[in-house]
Amino acid sequence: MNLSEVIHDLCIIAGRDAVLDRPEDLMLYEYDAGVRKSTPGAVVFPQNAQQVSQILRLAAAAKVPVVARGAGTGLSGGAISQAGGIVVAFSRMNRILEVDVENQRAVVQPGVVNLQLSEYVSHLGLYYAPDPSSQKACTIGGNVAENSGGPHTLLHGVTVNHVTGVEVVLPSGEIVQFGGKAEESYGYDLTGFFVGSEGTLGITTAITVKLLRKPEQVATLLAIFDSVDDAARTVSAITAAGITPAALEMLDGWTLRTIEAFCHAGYPLDAGAVLLIELEGLREAVEEEAAAVHEACLGQKAREVRRAKNEEERALLWKGRKQAFGALGRVSPSYYTQDGVVPRSKIPAVLRHIGDVSQKYGLIIGNVFHAGDGNLHPLILFDSRDAAQFERVLAASHDILQYCIDAGGSITGEHGVGIEKRDMMPHLFTEEELDIMISLRNVFNREERLNPEKLLPVPRMCREITGPSRNPVLAQEGM
Amino acid sequence: MSTVSTSLPLARELREICGAQHVVEDPAELGRLQVLGVVPAVMVEPATAQEVAAILHFAGERGLNIVPAGGFTQQQTGAVPPAIDVLLSTSRLTAIEHYDPGDLTVGVGAGWTVAQLAAKVAADGLLFACDPPLPERATIGGVLAAGINGPLRHGYGGLRDYCIGVRFVTGDGRKGKGGGQVVKNVAGYDLMKLLIGSWGTLAVITGASFKLFPAPRQTRTFIACFSTAAEALESRRRILRSPLDPACLELISPVAHKLLIPASPAGAGWSICVRAAGSDAVLARYRVELGSAIAHEMDGANESVFWQKVANFAPLASAQTNSLLISFAVTPQDVQPLLAILEEIAGKGFTLATVGRVGIGILLAALWPAAGHQPIASDFVTALSTLRSRLSKDSSMRILHCPAEARNAIAPLQTPTHLDSMRAIKRTLDPKDILNRGRFDF
Repeated sequence: MNLSEVIHDLCIIAGRDAVLDRPEDLMLYEYDAGVRKSTPGAVVFPQNAQQVSQILRLAAAAKVPVVARGAGTGLSGGAISQAGGIVVAFSRMNRILEVDVENQRAVVQPGVVNLQLSEYVSHLGLYYAPDPSSQKACTIGGNVAENSGGPHTLLHGVTVNHVTGVEVVLPSGEIVQFGGKAEESYGYDLTGFFVGSEGTLGITTAITVKLLRKPEQVATLLAIFDSVDDAARTVSAITAAGITPAALEMLDGWTLRTIEAFCHAGYPLDAGAVLLIELEGLREAVEEEAAAVHEACLGQKAREVRRAKNEEERALLWKGRKQAFGALGRVSPSYYTQDGVVPRSKIPAVLRHIGDVSQKYGLIIGNVFHAGDGNLHPLILFDSRDAAQFERVLAASHDILQYCIDAGGSITGEHGVGIEKRDMMPHLFTEEELDIMISLRNVFNREERLNPEKLLPVPRMCREITGPSRNPVLAQEGM
Repeated sequence: MSTVSTSLPLARELREICGAQHVVEDPAELGRLQVLGVVPAVMVEPATAQEVAAILHFAGERGLNIVPAGGFTQQQTGAVPPAIDVLLSTSRLTAIEHYDPGDLTVGVGAGWTVAQLAAKVAADGLLFACDPPLPERATIGGVLAAGINGPLRHGYGGLRDYCIGVRFVTGDGRKGKGGGQVVKNVAGYDLMKLLIGSWGTLAVITGASFKLFPAPRQTRTFIACFSTAAEALESRRRILRSPLDPACLELISPVAHKLLIPASPAGAGWSICVRAAGSDAVLARYRVELGSAIAHEMDGANESVFWQKVANFAPLASAQTNSLLISFAVTPQDVQPLLAILEEIAGKGFTLATVGRVGIGILLAALWPAAGHQPIASDFVTALSTLRSRLSKDSSMRILHCPAEARNAIAPLQTPTHLDSMRAIKRTLDPKDILNRGRFDF
């Protein structure tokens, strides 16, 4: 079956107006928010799980790869179709199917935008906790694929901690349900295993998520430091004081000046670093914690600690943080965002190392990150027209990630491995450990029909091909 | 039953792998290590993942049945194994893999007991928020494999929330790893989720890493009593809709209360037990919000002992003659209808005791024959099929303890989430079915 026949069949499945195949339309789907590009063969916009199932059956028959895509805000290349395959885009499956107030659950389609869910349930006193910086655009389906985080995951956890059930279409086209509304589902936790699998096991068509009650009180503090070192030490001092903030973010001096020029969040221009600290919960507890945090900051030589007096001031402080990436776009043609993680006690050391890397490679590197859980986001500025410079960017990133691994950390905290970091996986996992992951991927996606060459390193090591799948479902499909 | 003829060369091989002093063949000692009445042919105590892998490779070649074991607190679960060729004890997997109090994480070998780990981190002002039954015996590997939780599950989440890394050896002898030692990590598949609650059917867990929490400086427990379950659950609903954020929110039925605290006065009602952490001002706020419902408060040693008893409900209830212990995960709203179904079943000759984290819909229910009744295996089977047919679609249930004569008639996993996927995963990680063969078939 050639591509034009596949496109013809996609039109029959989803409707002529739900398929894109003209080069000028496909260009919009060749990139995500990272640095790589590849043009798909076609884009299809299914409207329900049955259509997704038919699309996967078609892809299996035609032996065409399939990549699921939400809003394309990912940073690791997860939504890019490398082999000219079919992109299944979820912008038409964007309904909130159910809000169960008593059980604090919502059932949503994958194309629902993250922030829209919180806005939709706001009048009920509820919200959806995971809040990636791209939450105004990114979709919950994409969040599930990447197991996305965000600033408030320090207290509340990442996407997987908020998903109790998923409806999934397997590569065979079979539609299955893992989990449901209950807190746990006995048997293997396939819901938990599925979240964060980067579209390599199946495609979600409905997601059951937890909704949290809005806190009674929120305190947002901005602590200003003369040096990055002082700010980094304060992170440990706060946890040593027995406090788990809802969010604990750090911005270095260079980054906050860039942001300030862009959106006037009220950040001090001459600071070495700031911490943005949010506390939430019972009024009495928040007030005590705010006082203790204030003291911990001053104890680590904070120059000043400000507290947002009202919702407007709070929104302004967060606006700067959430628009950091947009602000950088104004001062540099391109930037490369890394997502390494280190144990919290290693934050001061890793920031010093990033400073050294910046010197060594002659690159500007800003830091705006989730300090509370040790999840770094070094932003390396570059000009994509300068190929030699881009090579230095990749070398610098590799250097930083290797440092994170050596410090006992990880290469990605919330952005996913995708294409971008798949070749770093052997630095983090042994061949045997990767082999186990490959064999589990093969349980669901033996032919690598779904999101090929993502998450796991290529060329693959010791890939076991032992004839037809032992999965009865897949075996039935002749796989 | 395994035979002596296979055990002798087998023991020799195991001695090669682990050293003679770590292979137990003494019948008297093995007799004390029986699982559901089956005495293992031999016990081996590997000290490293490498040794575990060697044992599993060898077992795979011979098609042996391996039962991984920690502190024997959850070994009364599942069907009776046809034979236990090797009992693989995790007691020597006691390395401390990483620990810096400033990181709020810890990684240890699977043989650590929960109490040892909790005590170690408590010395640094930290909380390991895992409070299973019998923590002095329960091991890290065991609680993960069984997916067991306790009252702290309400406020701190479960193992799936705070286990950040796992090291293991698959049934086909491959040494694997999921996650790592940092609190946020999306590199690779989340194999912690796959192994938690897998009942040792996929891999032998050799080590794990956990997120820790700052230990609360003080706690207080408020008990409210009600004459009916409905009133108690209405009180739970008010708490869930209030700004309160308790560490524990537990429902205890009158029969369970009597079982946990035999000295309590007769006619005690349904209790809602709220454990709060915080300053005096925070505790004062709890009093205001809970209001006149509070019957009494506990703190200090009384409070600790009370929660230990609540956590130990499962073994206590299992010790009743012919007791069936079921664990449910349902939506908070489904707790009340579930209790009604259970009461109806109890009306047919059973005594019913229930304890649970009802704020999140996790409930333990024990049924044992009421005085003067002698239920047979089929009565338990009927009770379970009634439950299964009437649970809502979002509910999940599994059997933690079964009366001896019903063991092979009742599947431990009553509501598997997706059988084809589970079977395919099992065949991939344990193709020769050497891990816990015959006990947890699905």
